Amino acid sequence: MMRKLLLACLSLWFFSSHAQDTFTVNGVKDERPGLHAFINATLHVDYQTTIENAVLVIQKGEVVASGKGVKVPKGAIVHNLDGKHIYPSFIELSSNIGIPKADRNGSSGPQLGPVKDGAYNANDAIKAYFKAHEAFEANDSDADKMRKAGFGVVLTHNQDGLVRGTGTVVSLHNGPENEIILKESASQHFSFEKGSSTQDNPSSLMGAIALIKQTYLDAQWYKNQNEMVDISLDAFNKNSIYPQFFDADGDKLYVLRADRLGDEFGVQYIIKGNGDEYQRLEEIKATNAQLILPVNYPEAYDVEDPFDALNVSLEEMKHWEMAPENLKLLTENGITYSITSDGLKDASKLPAMLSQSVELGLAEEQALKALTYNPAQFIKMGDKLGALTTGKYANFIITDGSPVRKDTKIYENWVQGNPYKFHDYTLPELAGNYKLTVGSEDYQMEVKGESGKEKFKIVVNDSTSYDVASEISKQLISLSFTDESKDEAGKIRLSGWLKKEGLSGNARMPDGSWAKWSATLEDEDTSVDAEEKEEKEDESKASEMGSLIFPFVAHGNSKKPLEETILIKNATVWTNEAEGILESTDVLLENGKIAKIGKNITSSGAREIDGTGKHLTPGIIDEHSHIAISRGVNEGSEAVTAEVNIEDVVDSEDINIYRQLSGGVVASQLLHGSANPIGGRSAIVKLKWGYSPEEMKISWADKFIKFALGENVKQSNWGERNTVRFPQTRMGVEQVFEDAFTRAREYEEEWEAYNSLSKRDKVNATAPRKDLELETLVEILNSDRFISCHSYVQSEINMLMKVAERYGFRINTFTHILEGYKLADKMKEHGVGGSTFSDWWAYKFEVNDAIPYNAALMHGEGVVTAINSDDAEMGRRLNQEAGKTMKYGGVPVEEALKMVTLNPAKLLHLEDRMGSIKVGKDADVVLWSHEPLSIYAKAEKTIIEGAVFFDRDNQIEKLDAIQAERARLVAKMQGEKSNGKSTQKAKPKSQIIYHCETEIQNYSSLK
Amino acid sequence: MKLFKCIGILILSVLSFFAKAQVPAPGEVQSKPIAIMNAYAHLGNGEVIENSVITFENGIITNVADATVIRLDLSNFRVIKAEGMHVYPGLIASNTIIGLEEIAAVRATRDQDETGDFNPNVRALIAYNTDSEIIPTTRFNGVLYAQTTPRGGRISGSSSIMNLDAWNWEDAVLKNDEGIHLNWPSRLRYPRWWLGETEWRENEDYDKQYEEVQIFFKDAASYFEIQNPETTNLKLEAMKGLFDGSKSLYIHTDRAKEIVQSIQFALEMGIEQVVLVGGDEAYYVKDFLKENEIAVILEETLRLPSRTADPVDLPCQLPNLLHQAGIKVAIGQWGEVMQVRNLPFSVGTAAAYGLGKEEALKMVTLNPAQIMGVDDKIGSLEKGKIASLVVSKGDILDMEGNKPEYVFIEGRQVTLEAHQQRLYKKFKDKFDQE
Repeated sequence: MMRKLLLACLSLWFFSSHAQDTFTVNGVKDERPGLHAFINATLHVDYQTTIENAVLVIQKGEVVASGKGVKVPKGAIVHNLDGKHIYPSFIELSSNIGIPKADRNGSSGPQLGPVKDGAYNANDAIKAYFKAHEAFEANDSDADKMRKAGFGVVLTHNQDGLVRGTGTVVSLHNGPENEIILKESASQHFSFEKGSSTQDNPSSLMGAIALIKQTYLDAQWYKNQNEMVDISLDAFNKNSIYPQFFDADGDKLYVLRADRLGDEFGVQYIIKGNGDEYQRLEEIKATNAQLILPVNYPEAYDVEDPFDALNVSLEEMKHWEMAPENLKLLTENGITYSITSDGLKDASKLPAMLSQSVELGLAEEQALKALTYNPAQFIKMGDKLGALTTGKYANFIITDGSPVRKDTKIYENWVQGNPYKFHDYTLPELAGNYKLTVGSEDYQMEVKGESGKEKFKIVVNDSTSYDVASEISKQLISLSFTDESKDEAGKIRLSGWLKKEGLSGNARMPDGSWAKWSATLEDEDTSVDAEEKEEKEDESKASEMGSLIFPFVAHGNSKKPLEETILIKNATVWTNEAEGILESTDVLLENGKIAKIGKNITSSGAREIDGTGKHLTPGIIDEHSHIAISRGVNEGSEAVTAEVNIEDVVDSEDINIYRQLSGGVVASQLLHGSANPIGGRSAIVKLKWGYSPEEMKISWADKFIKFALGENVKQSNWGERNTVRFPQTRMGVEQVFEDAFTRAREYEEEWEAYNSLSKRDKVNATAPRKDLELETLVEILNSDRFISCHSYVQSEINMLMKVAERYGFRINTFTHILEGYKLADKMKEHGVGGSTFSDWWAYKFEVNDAIPYNAALMHGEGVVTAINSDDAEMGRRLNQEAGKTMKYGGVPVEEALKMVTLNPAKLLHLEDRMGSIKVGKDADVVLWSHEPLSIYAKAEKTIIEGAVFFDRDNQIEKLDAIQAERARLVAKMQGEKSNGKSTQKAKPKSQIIYHCETEIQNYSSLK
Repeated sequence: MKLFKCIGILILSVLSFFAKAQVPAPGEVQSKPIAIMNAYAHLGNGEVIENSVITFENGIITNVADATVIRLDLSNFRVIKAEGMHVYPGLIASNTIIGLEEIAAVRATRDQDETGDFNPNVRALIAYNTDSEIIPTTRFNGVLYAQTTPRGGRISGSSSIMNLDAWNWEDAVLKNDEGIHLNWPSRLRYPRWWLGETEWRENEDYDKQYEEVQIFFKDAASYFEIQNPETTNLKLEAMKGLFDGSKSLYIHTDRAKEIVQSIQFALEMGIEQVVLVGGDEAYYVKDFLKENEIAVILEETLRLPSRTADPVDLPCQLPNLLHQAGIKVAIGQWGEVMQVRNLPFSVGTAAAYGLGKEEALKMVTLNPAQIMGVDDKIGSLEKGKIASLVVSKGDILDMEGNKPEYVFIEGRQVTLEAHQQRLYKKFKDKFDQE
């Protein structure tokens, strides 16, 4: 096959200017000089250097000389490029051109281990062994599309797996692979998508991140061990010398995630982004990463029907408007990037897209730099690519103008000194108005369109004209038309040639007689008017741009809320302290802290909020939440996944953050789901709407992890296929814990033994393998990390407490804990808290004895009791849920409030700074319209660290602003539509609202 | 083999669960007239009597009056002193699967969804389990009637109005087979989130599905016109009531365009009683609904808005927005069957968002009774109506106040304590003794 292809290529390029010395020639050797000189061109030597009237000389695929006054060597084939431009051709860094697509060959049932045969990695998604240059097979039809768009060179790699092996740099010349591979291994590639692997793990984004981290650690260990062979790890280590590329497919937060991942291992990735980086500029800038950016700007939405228009979200509309600004904003912030055509329907759309950005203020030379110089630097080939100076590859395009403008024509694309011709620049421009004389008759003839594609018309008057059929081939032209003013039927047929200032030749009249004809140019067609108009339009477009909001979702703010000095006057203050409820009391918030509580407090310069008739409470804390998490809350693929971490996947753009704020919630524990006995680590965040994931995380919080018991972990309700993974019974669940902690203990001992070696002995010993899962479990054993365990039935609750006691630690919290009331005394004795639902039950068999009195009973036994949500909707009315403990079991109102404030603060070890209104604590407070646990209570102001994050008083204003912005964008989109631009149908987005039980099976592998 | 064993164990354990927990016996038939004295009465029709006297006899209300005005001889009466308490008509839960589903995750306990697309002849009341453990937890919070409704398919079946304290479904039924439930096709299909989709897709079968509905209804109309068809068609037989006005057509749909299209369709088919169920986007077509006098049964207020740009509390405001537009609204609570007991709080939330307590209460009492055609019997505290009422220690719409002390259905005093209260007592006693 290979050989055949090779032969085909050879026969096409038998006169190749390169010699392929190892191959036998059928016939006589046919190596040609390949010496070309391009004269009179406007030569863009690189993105920033333009030389008028320059000469470019190339030979055998390389630039020999370029510039002004360069002598044309003797014998060179001379190309006169008068009025034409030469640019270095573009370099594509995100491509899989020529790489065969991977097959998926796993079974449909659970797949707990890898299926790839051979001495490969424990996970099929780690494909570091893959070498793009070995798999590469030239594909000229794909290459041709790229060439037409102005590309000359591509970095191609296998876009499959988390670790994807090396990439190879190839030219787009239709030559044998031996010649067009310019650099065998130029890069190593990563992504968050496991691709064709059918192995269950990882099933979530956080699982993917953890697996990549573990791979780094394994590779480190692998270097110094001799116990086993792992081809993938070996390759991973070898590939570390190349530039490392990360495809952060998703949104701007994925770019931040990729960068953080690299930081952990001292690797600076070159990151492929998503075109929405402008939405988190500050954070993107701080990564210091070089980026590869798509320009797949969305089409306008069809918003003609107002009901259908409802389906377009504000953020989609705004992104439609702002996406073309992305590159400009990144440039202004000093971020280095290259541009990819990846993500476009086809590469030919590239200039149209870039044109939009240029219209919005992106400097043309920046765009050129990002297509030539930067990508060359990224793959460390600046010496051979990206410019047209001596010694570089002869990779360039010949155009009639800037290739980042939409109407620019690329005549030819030269790759490694080989021409690919798309338009003949030697053809004359015919457009204009002519006087056509055929025999004795005169006509007005109008010619429009670019050379080679002209449209001819006979114009009688303003309203009447008729078409002329035309054919132009090199220097010859034939035209035919019917003179409709004449009675005689039949066409007048003209055949002729081009000459200066017009055309002439012989005509055959309808009656068969011959005549002479000629056409004289009267005036050139100038579309200046049209251009001017367009420019004017562009100006108005630029002035009308909307502004950024944080986060980039409806209800986002144009500025992140900032800390203020706030004095709340004359409120009923629920302190959660010994003082209890204080009537008509003032509270001063200063520097993000509660500064003063008392009567008649004054503070100059403070923003005063009248609390008369209102109630001030500590902010609500949700011990169990799954909001603000990207791509999966469960890494349910294995029984123990302590290596995964919700902190890696916090999603600051989730509208539910704002919705929680509207219910007085200030902080949440974002938990892993309950699909496995030992789940992932949690993130504890304050709901700082508009801030980045890192800013939301409470930096001083203790570390937590999710465990789970019962039906979910034994997969009772997962269908008939899922009966394989251990455990399938509650008996098995205990053994999972026993096994995990036994292994963790041994792991710790192994490390202790190693660490206690002398320096000299260490040199001779092999360091144990660092295992993220076991590291986490060791933290638990040493009470450096705390467990929040999903639980329902008393037997298993009891079991886990006993397991913990055997291993010398305590369970911190049982969450859900619906049968906690059955063993509240034992819980108290163990010292564990309970975070429960107020009244959920009946959704599965194990909750049949769940009673709404649970909280009251646990509380009565002295167990620290909280009410949690596990649900984005319920999370915003936890005050109501706490209120139910008064109905069921008669919990006093102050104690009930503590169940959603101080008690969860205790369970999360936040109580030193949160959970009550006390001088010195964080200014995390809520002002309510009514008694806080009443159904009639609405959170009016939700304040975190002295900044107002939710204000009911400005809701109308906010909604009006949203409406106005939508209206503006709708009008703008309608403008696009009436200008004839294509639009896309509006389809609503739907959010997955995660619960504990949300099991997203292999979110990426099923794509 | 293993599988069979598992199912066997499951069935056994379900059985044993039912054996161990017994739903309390229904209240005894009213033998003596009863008077509730001095309670704050919320009549369900929007009116209140601050200091009321309410009497009932043989299960029928005989007096609803102002205690400061009326004088009655109560010597024969059982008198309930309810000063400081609140009395309400029993709340009505619209469009629920109560009695049809026991444990959501256990298939054997699910009886709401029959196979097939057009099942108007399938009747919810047949599967209604009076001994469901969900029922006592629901009436414990003041919900005394339910429209028990099948799910699934294009036409799910027929719903009935049931009281929530009975020995069997025949005793429980207040109005049988009162409505046919049509799940109108959606122009959009839900994203396949398990494939990573977040965007709805166009339903390319929409026109076809519309046509299927149309053909079915036309056939049903034709069957209705033909007085003596040669062969009996059970499906079409069940549809007759829609054309003679004895049954209502409940159209389940949420989006504006589907709302308009489905209702236009139903009216063109000559169906007199049309009710919209769901109606998430009803506000956008409020004028259309008002013009055609279409009542709406809204889903619970305790849910998230469907769009990011919506006001954060749009679902809470929706009942009031529609009310202001002059539309008759009932509030339902059908997300999960265990949540039916939170209907009062869903209504309380609507009250807080502009509706006011009495107007909100009406949306779970008189309005649904009118919509379902049982307002001559229930839905308000009025002379001649069935004595199904709740005496609560406090405001029934608020968590703290929702403490029913006396609950009557058809004048029979209902036992409030059931499985959950028994477990509470069992363990409270244990801890109290320790």
